[in-house]
Amino acid sequence: MAAPYVVEFEVEKDDFLAAGEGSGSVKDTLKMLGMHSAIIRRAAIITYEAEMNLVIHGGGGVLKVLITPERIEIVSSDEGPGIPDVEMAMREGFSTAPDRVREMGFGAGMGLPNIKRNSDSLSIDSTVGVGTTLRAVIELAGQGGSV
Amino acid sequence: MKVSELLQALELEVHCAGNGEADVFCGVVGDLLSFVMGHAPEGATWVTIQNHVNVAAVAVLREIPLILLSDGRKPAPELVERCRSETLALASSPLSAFELCGKLYGLGLKG
Repeated sequence: MAAPYVVEFEVEKDDFLAAGEGSGSVKDTLKMLGMHSAIIRRAAIITYEAEMNLVIHGGGGVLKVLITPERIEIVSSDEGPGIPDVEMAMREGFSTAPDRVREMGFGAGMGLPNIKRNSDSLSIDSTVGVGTTLRAVIELAGQGGSV
Repeated sequence: MKVSELLQALELEVHCAGNGEADVFCGVVGDLLSFVMGHAPEGATWVTIQNHVNVAAVAVLREIPLILLSDGRKPAPELVERCRSETLALASSPLSAFELCGKLYGLGLKG
């Protein structure tokens, strides 16, 4: 199997001005690689929501996207406070975002459900006080175009 | 309908003309960014009261060519700047989101 094409970027805590730029570069890369628009849309939603989670909750972190002809794997890692109850965090409408963030239209408890809806598989490994790693995979299986 | 036609048809304050040739078929209204991120249809115009720079990020990722700020909301300078650099159209209206959506529907845009 060929080595994956990797896009990696750092996300700063509370940097709402730059938020979304990393996801934009992932989208541009997938377009350049000739991916199907529906796949690009799913990847854009996942990377954007993961990026915003790093900005709002994770204290910043790293977002890495690994692209092969078979799949797109999106890995978000932070050394933030961790998620005490992942099952609860996955529920639509549940959020721990502060009011100032909610007023901007974030923190509606839709981020993780949006990621899940657009992933073929999703795993969240989180330890309180240590950090969180999220892995979301989109299987291409003949629908992604050429890499 | 083209973005330029839509900007002319409504009484709007245009902050960025964007790509006037882009097609708009439908609309989405909402102030929760993750809702719009998850639900905006292709070729939508987006009606919102959110006026900060992150609106542009969502519009870019969802390929929304036209952002309409309702209820007299004015865009933050960073939003205008980002819309300019991303060639997104941005305009504001004194009308409420409800009234603005009514006019858009009347022009033939669907949900």
